[in-house]
Amino acid sequence: MKRVLEGSHAVSHAVELARVAVISAYPITPQTHIVERLAELVADGVLPARYIRVESEHSAMAAVIGAAFAGARSFTASSSHGLALMHEMLHWAAGSRLPVVMAEVNRAMGPGWNIWADQTDSLSQRDTGWMQLYCEDVQEVLDTILMAFKLAERVSLPAMVVLDAFFLSHTCEPVDVPEQAEVDEFLPPWQPTEVLDPAEPRAFNQLSPPDHYLEFRFKMQQAMEEAVGAYGEIDAEFGRRFGRSYGALEVVPARAGERAPLALVTTGSLTGTARATLPSLNAEGPAVDLVKLKLFRPFPQEEVRRVLGPYERVAVVDRNLSFGFGGIFAQELRASLANLPRRPLLYPFVAGLGGRDVTPDSLRAIVARAQAGPPEDVLWVDLKP
Amino acid sequence: MSRVTYRGAADLPPLSRSSGTMAWNHTGSWRFLRPRYQDKVAPCGEACPAGEDVALVELLVGRGDFEGAWRRIREENPLPGTCGRVCFHPCEAACNRGEYDEAVAIPSLERHVADVARRQGLKPSPSHAPASGRRVAVVGAGPAGLTAACFLRRFGHQVDLFDARREPGGMLRYAIPDYRLPVETVAWEAGLVLAEGVRFCPERRLGADLGWEELGGYDAVFLAVGAWAATRLGVPGEELARDGLGLLDALRQGQRPTVAGPVAVIGGGNTALDVARALVRLGAEPTIYYRRRLADLPALPDELAEAREEGIPVRTLLTPEALAPAADGIALTLTTLLAVADPAGGRARVVPSGHPSVTVTVTAVYAAVGAGPSEGLPPELHAGDGAAVAGLHLRRVVTRGAWAERPPTYLGGDLVNDRRTVVTAIASGKEAAVVIDAELRGVSLAEVWPAIRVGKGGAISLNRLNGGDRARRQDHVVRFEELNTIYFGYQERRPRPRISLEERRTGFDEVALRISGALARQEAERCFHCGVCDQCDNCYLFCPDVSVRRDPGGDRREIDYAYCKGCGVCVVECPRNAMVLEEEPR
Repeated sequence: MKRVLEGSHAVSHAVELARVAVISAYPITPQTHIVERLAELVADGVLPARYIRVESEHSAMAAVIGAAFAGARSFTASSSHGLALMHEMLHWAAGSRLPVVMAEVNRAMGPGWNIWADQTDSLSQRDTGWMQLYCEDVQEVLDTILMAFKLAERVSLPAMVVLDAFFLSHTCEPVDVPEQAEVDEFLPPWQPTEVLDPAEPRAFNQLSPPDHYLEFRFKMQQAMEEAVGAYGEIDAEFGRRFGRSYGALEVVPARAGERAPLALVTTGSLTGTARATLPSLNAEGPAVDLVKLKLFRPFPQEEVRRVLGPYERVAVVDRNLSFGFGGIFAQELRASLANLPRRPLLYPFVAGLGGRDVTPDSLRAIVARAQAGPPEDVLWVDLKP
Repeated sequence: MSRVTYRGAADLPPLSRSSGTMAWNHTGSWRFLRPRYQDKVAPCGEACPAGEDVALVELLVGRGDFEGAWRRIREENPLPGTCGRVCFHPCEAACNRGEYDEAVAIPSLERHVADVARRQGLKPSPSHAPASGRRVAVVGAGPAGLTAACFLRRFGHQVDLFDARREPGGMLRYAIPDYRLPVETVAWEAGLVLAEGVRFCPERRLGADLGWEELGGYDAVFLAVGAWAATRLGVPGEELARDGLGLLDALRQGQRPTVAGPVAVIGGGNTALDVARALVRLGAEPTIYYRRRLADLPALPDELAEAREEGIPVRTLLTPEALAPAADGIALTLTTLLAVADPAGGRARVVPSGHPSVTVTVTAVYAAVGAGPSEGLPPELHAGDGAAVAGLHLRRVVTRGAWAERPPTYLGGDLVNDRRTVVTAIASGKEAAVVIDAELRGVSLAEVWPAIRVGKGGAISLNRLNGGDRARRQDHVVRFEELNTIYFGYQERRPRPRISLEERRTGFDEVALRISGALARQEAERCFHCGVCDQCDNCYLFCPDVSVRRDPGGDRREIDYAYCKGCGVCVVECPRNAMVLEEEPR
C-alpha cells in the first residue's frame, strides 16, 4: 500500500513490520521521530515489543545487546553524539556477534554545534565491526531496515542503516509499505544459535587470550566477507518479492550499454540530486555515469574494482572528512583500486559538510573540475575561502 | 568440567564463551554482603492505635481480595466498619505516600471491605484457643469493652459483657449520629463480637444493679463504662441549657425533637460538632461558641470542614457568662476572651478581653463542654492514685482497702485516655485483653510486650502475639526516604463520594457514600506497601546473576545463595524496602 511517510516513520514502520521484540533508544535530534513513534506503538499495544527506557545511548546499546543475547530481535536508533557515546558498546555488539539493527541518522559532530546532515558520525564507527548501508530515499530506508535484519541474522553481525538528517529523516515521500504477511515470508523469526539461557548458564565474552583472539577476529572478517554475497542474495530476493532491489553499487549510465569516461560516485540522499542533474549535464557536455555506493561495510571491493576500474576518471563526493587525509569514501575507493594494474584517476571532493546544500550547480562544478586538470588530495566544493 | 582444546578458528564458537555449563562456578562464594527478604513495619501500621496491618490490607484490597482484607483487619480490630467511618485516621497522617503526592484514603478502604463483608454475610473465623476455664467480666459494651471481650474470648476465656443500655455499642450506638455511623453498622459489628461466644448482659448498670458481690466472682474485671456524665457550664442559669450528649442519645433512639430558630452550641469538641450538625438536620440554625481560637478546636479537621460546609458558623473566643429566660427564648450572655500566647510554646491561654460581653437570644442552648466518668464508677477510681498505669491506654486498680479482696480490675476506654477517640478505646480494649490474659495465665508481661509492639508508637499486634507473619517483620519503620520511589507514578487520591449538601442539611443519611470495588482497588493500588513485599519482581528483573528464584505460584521469592554475589542491586531497586543487605557471616 502506498503511503506518504516521513523518513523517520518509514523506519518505525519497518521496525514494526520486522516484528522487533525489544527496542531501546535514547532520543536525539534528528533521530527522535523514529523512537517517538515506536514508543507510541508499544505504549498503544500496537507493537507487541518491550521498549526499554534508558539514561544514555551507551545504555541503549547495552540493553539491546542484552536482549539480543537472550534471542530477541532488537532495534535501536541514534545519531551523531549519541552514536559516539555508543562507541564502546558497538564493539561489544559486533564482538558478541549479535544481529542488532540500528537506524543511524547522519548528523554532523560538534562543535560547532550542528544538527544537519553529515556522514562523519557513522564513518567514525567504521572499524567497530558493524555493517553499514546508506540510503538514498525514504522508500529505500524502509526496505533497507527489513533487509538489514535478514542480513544481520544471516551472518551474525550488527547492521547500521544510515539515512541523512532531515533530507531523509524529516522529509515525506510516497512509500510502498509492504503487507505484513509478505514481510513475514521474507523475514521469518530469528533462529539464534548462541542464546543466553539461565537454565544452562555459560560464560559469555570472557577473557580471550592471545591464543584465541586473532581467530575470533578472523571469524568476524570471514562473516563480513560472507556478508557481501549474502547481501547480494538478500537484495535479489527482496527484488523478486517486492519489485525493488538496490545492489551494493548501482550504476546509472549516461548512455545505455556504454561506459562514460567519468564516473561520479555518491552516497546517501545526494545521489538523488545527482540522478536529477546528470541527464541535463550529459545533454550539454561529455558523458558522466552515476555510481551510487550503498554498501559500505562490508566494502564490496571486488564489485568496486569491476565497476570503477575501467573508468578513466572517478569523482567521489564525500559529505564527511577524515581530518589530515580527506574524504572517507574516496579513501576507501582509492584503496580498493590500488592493486589494479590500470587505475582510474580519482578526484576526491569534500562537499556539503554540516548539512550545506549540495546543489545541481555544485555537482556541475564537481564534474567540470574532474573533467579538467589533475586530481588533488582534497578538492573542496563551494568553499568560501 | 571437561577441558576443550581449540586447534584453530574452525573449532571456535563465533564469540568468546565457555564451551559448557558454568553451573559449577558457585559465584556466591565471592559474596561478602548478603541480601535477604525482610519485611518491615509501615508507618501507617505503627500509627494505627489498633495496630492494623494497613500495608498488607491495602495489598489485599488492591488484588480485590476484600474478604481477606476484612479478616486481616479483624485480627487486630473487631470494628473495621466503625473505624472506617469515624476514626481520626492517624494512619493517613503517617502515610509515606503523603510525602509523594497524597496519602492513601485508608479509612475509605477499611469501610469498603467491612461493607462488602456485611453484604456478603461473612462470619469471623472461629477461634481455636482451648477453653481456659477462666471468667472475665467486661463492664461497658462500647468500643473498648467490645474489643476486650472479643479478644479475651478468642484467647479462650469465658466473657460476660455488661452494659447499662439495651444494645451494645456504647457511644457508637448512643452518641455518634447516623449521618456518620449508621446504627446498622454498629449492630452488625457488635453482633459479630457476641457471635464469637461473648455473653451480653444488657441493662445492667454498674453501681445500680451490678455490684461487687457479683463482679467479685470473676477472675478479672475490665471496667470501660465510658464518660457519660456531662460537665455543667457552671454559670448562672446553667439549668436552662440542655445536654448535648442527651440530644445525641435521643436521636440514636429514634427520637426527632422539635428544635427551630437560632440555637447556641457551647463547646469545640466532636460532641459539639455532632450536636450542631444534628441540629441543622432537625431544622434549627445552630451556631457554635468556642472559648479558644479556631486553630485550637479539638474536634477533628474533617468534622469541622463538613460542619462548615453545612453552613454552621463557629464563633470563637466567647464563653458563657449567664443564661436567662427571655420573651422569645433564652438570653445567652457571653464573655469575650483574648488569646495570650504561651511563651513556653504551649497552647495559648485565654483571658477576658475587657471588651463588653455579648448577648444573643436563642431558642435553646446545648452544652457540649466535656464529660466525666459515668456514674457508678467508684469515686476512688475517678482520678489520682486509685489505679496505676498498666499500659498506654490501661490502668490497674490498686489492691488496697476493699480492692484487696476483689479480682484484678482494670480501667480502660474513655476512663483512661484524654483523646477519647474510638480507635484509642479499641487500643485500650486490646491492651486489656492481652494484659488480663497474661495475668490469668501467669505469663510475664515483660516477655510479651516487646514481641507484640508495632513500631514505637505503642500499638500492639495480636498477629504477632499468635506468631503470625507479622512476628517475622523487622521492627523498623520504613521512612519515605528509604523507599525507591522511581517505580511509583503520581496518581491522584480518589475523592470520597458524598451525598449532596441539600440532603445533608435535611436528613440523617450517611454523608459518605459507598465506593465501588473497582474504585477501592484503584485507590489501594496507590499504596506503596512500605516494607511489605508485594511480589513486584523488581529483584527478579534486576538480579544480574539470575539468583532470585520464584516459586511456581509466584507468591514467594528466594535468593539462590550459591550464585548470588551480593551486589545488592535487588535491595537498592526494591521500591518498598522489603529487603536488607547485611554483612555475610564468616
